[in-house]
Amino acid sequence: MSEHTTNTAPELRPPAHRVSRRAIGYWTVTASIVWIILIGVQTLIVVTSDDAPSFLTVTLVLSCVLGPLHLIVMPQWRYRVHRWEVTGEAVYTQSGWLKQEWRIAPVSRIQTVDIERDPFEQLFGLAKITVTTASAAGPLRIAGLAHDRALALADELTKTTQAVRGDAT
Amino acid sequence: MSSTETVVTPPAEGTQDAPWHHLDRRMLLIRPVLDLVKSLPVLLGALLFGHGEPWQWIGLVFTAIAVFTGVSHVLTSRYRITESQVEWRTGLLQRKHRAIPRDRIRTVDVTSEPKHRLFSLAAARIGTGRHSHGKGPGKDELVLDAVTIAEAQRLRTLLLHRKAEAVTTEAADAPPEQLIAAVDKRWLRYAPFTLSGLAVVGAAVGTVYHFAHELHFDPIQFSLVQAVVGHFAETPAWVSVLLAAVGLLVLVSLLSIGGYVLSFWNFRLTREPAGTLHIRRGLITTRSVSIEEDRLRGAEIREPLPLRLAGGARCVAIAGGLREGKGADKGGGLLLPPAPVARAHEVVAEVLREDPVATPLVRHPRRALYRRLSRAVLGVLLLAAALYGLAWLGALPDWPWQVALVLVPFAALVGWDRYRGLGHAFTGRYLVTRSGSLDRGTAAVRCDGLTGIVVERSYFQRRAGLVTLIAPVAAGKGKYRVLDVGEADGLALADRALPGLLTPFLTGDRDRG
Repeated sequence: MSEHTTNTAPELRPPAHRVSRRAIGYWTVTASIVWIILIGVQTLIVVTSDDAPSFLTVTLVLSCVLGPLHLIVMPQWRYRVHRWEVTGEAVYTQSGWLKQEWRIAPVSRIQTVDIERDPFEQLFGLAKITVTTASAAGPLRIAGLAHDRALALADELTKTTQAVRGDAT
Repeated sequence: MSSTETVVTPPAEGTQDAPWHHLDRRMLLIRPVLDLVKSLPVLLGALLFGHGEPWQWIGLVFTAIAVFTGVSHVLTSRYRITESQVEWRTGLLQRKHRAIPRDRIRTVDVTSEPKHRLFSLAAARIGTGRHSHGKGPGKDELVLDAVTIAEAQRLRTLLLHRKAEAVTTEAADAPPEQLIAAVDKRWLRYAPFTLSGLAVVGAAVGTVYHFAHELHFDPIQFSLVQAVVGHFAETPAWVSVLLAAVGLLVLVSLLSIGGYVLSFWNFRLTREPAGTLHIRRGLITTRSVSIEEDRLRGAEIREPLPLRLAGGARCVAIAGGLREGKGADKGGGLLLPPAPVARAHEVVAEVLREDPVATPLVRHPRRALYRRLSRAVLGVLLLAAALYGLAWLGALPDWPWQVALVLVPFAALVGWDRYRGLGHAFTGRYLVTRSGSLDRGTAAVRCDGLTGIVVERSYFQRRAGLVTLIAPVAAGKGKYRVLDVGEADGLALADRALPGLLTPFLTGDRDRG
């Protein structure tokens, strides 16, 4: 990567807070389920079928190599990237791993604050916060927050949003 | 004309106990017929396939239900406009009640389909500025399916011109509306370049093929088809291909011209004194769309490749409450049908009272060219590889992958053109961005309409020092991209477009104050 930052070039600094460490476990488990199903189905066909297509053996071997690699690399990488910050004026998130994104939304544009928990998130004591704006392209998601932290954050956001009232469109 | 209507209405209108209005009863003559026609396939299907079975009359039940629902909808739907909201009730067995606060109403769209035009009726669609996808149609809009055109006009003036109402009712005659653009016969020459006829041809071929397949007859058995095929079998392949291509071109051109006439007949864009843009167009189905000017978030000039080669362009409004290309809103914000590109700029200048789209754009770094080229060429190469794989397995003949390989230089050209199109600018009030080659668009989005900012960077963009800036707005497409902009440039642009928002999160340039 070319280091072309000088003193004058503006650069986004990462948001202040990391998500919960337990998110690593959550990401590993949810991704491994997909891989287990994928590898399982392929194995089943290769083992049981009389004339399994030859390319299936290739993809099976590929899956067995890529799967564990993905499970080792992705959650750690994600944990380093996923960050968030809430100030009086704005919500700022950073997410992704191979493809990363930074989202900033002013508090005055916030429409709703949702907390979601799927069964695995409940298992790991995590929650996901979704902050929506009037635009369909603008929702900010903070995944992998500790549940109590998420509740406090949603509470805080709702309070600051109410303080800054507006049309929000 | 509409202002006198407002005076004539009972004084109770717009108060706490405003009178309820019904849908126009003349719809009772049309709706059952349409419902009957719509359920004809079910009716006939059940009769044909269920012949002798106990369920053969089930189609009749469905038809009866459909007709009954239609009739009861017309009979039971009522609406009224109170001081603060528009209320709507419908249903006999399943009652529905919906209320929309009047200050949330952003658009009143009046459409007259052929079924309406029989009795000079129209459908008035009252929309709020909400802009979220994944919601079914009618979720937060209200459709009054059968009102007289005069009533639709009255609703439009009443609901949209609230601020100016006091002024206009005092003045006996409202000042005349100002004409911004009207369609010109000479613009028909741009119609073939829109290729809109291609969709019609595609749909027709698809339908014919589907029916032929369903009914198990082979088109080759027809003597006419046989004669044509036989004729072509004797001529060399390249002649047949050439003839077919020319024939298709002529057909598509004719259909496109027909489509242009149908959609844009009598196109007029006017500005009403109350500050509303009013668009009227259509030959058989007439549409009338109103856009409140303070809902306008910008404008976009679209130049798809064929149209651009002919020097033409379309102009589209970016307005809150008009979702682009979504169901009933499709084409709603069209400010100018395909017309000379200079005219499109004039319309933007007239509508936004400045022409940000004409600002010279800042080109994107050279590294963006390599990305455009590699993406275009790699895409086609992957396709060719997949087709080759299928040919190797024997699933396909050889020519598809060969054709795909021939397309590689064209893909490179398109990639190059895409890079040439990339650009952005900031004009003080507007963020301007251009991208695309086959479907090039230059959008100017009002900065105070942005609901935040998104910066995206893929692994390859990171290596090239590029980012993609996404400007989310609650209007038009919902988001406008500044593709592959240099990282520092992009952040500087975002910082200028949304002053103060990014500042606490930026490092580096600390002396901006």
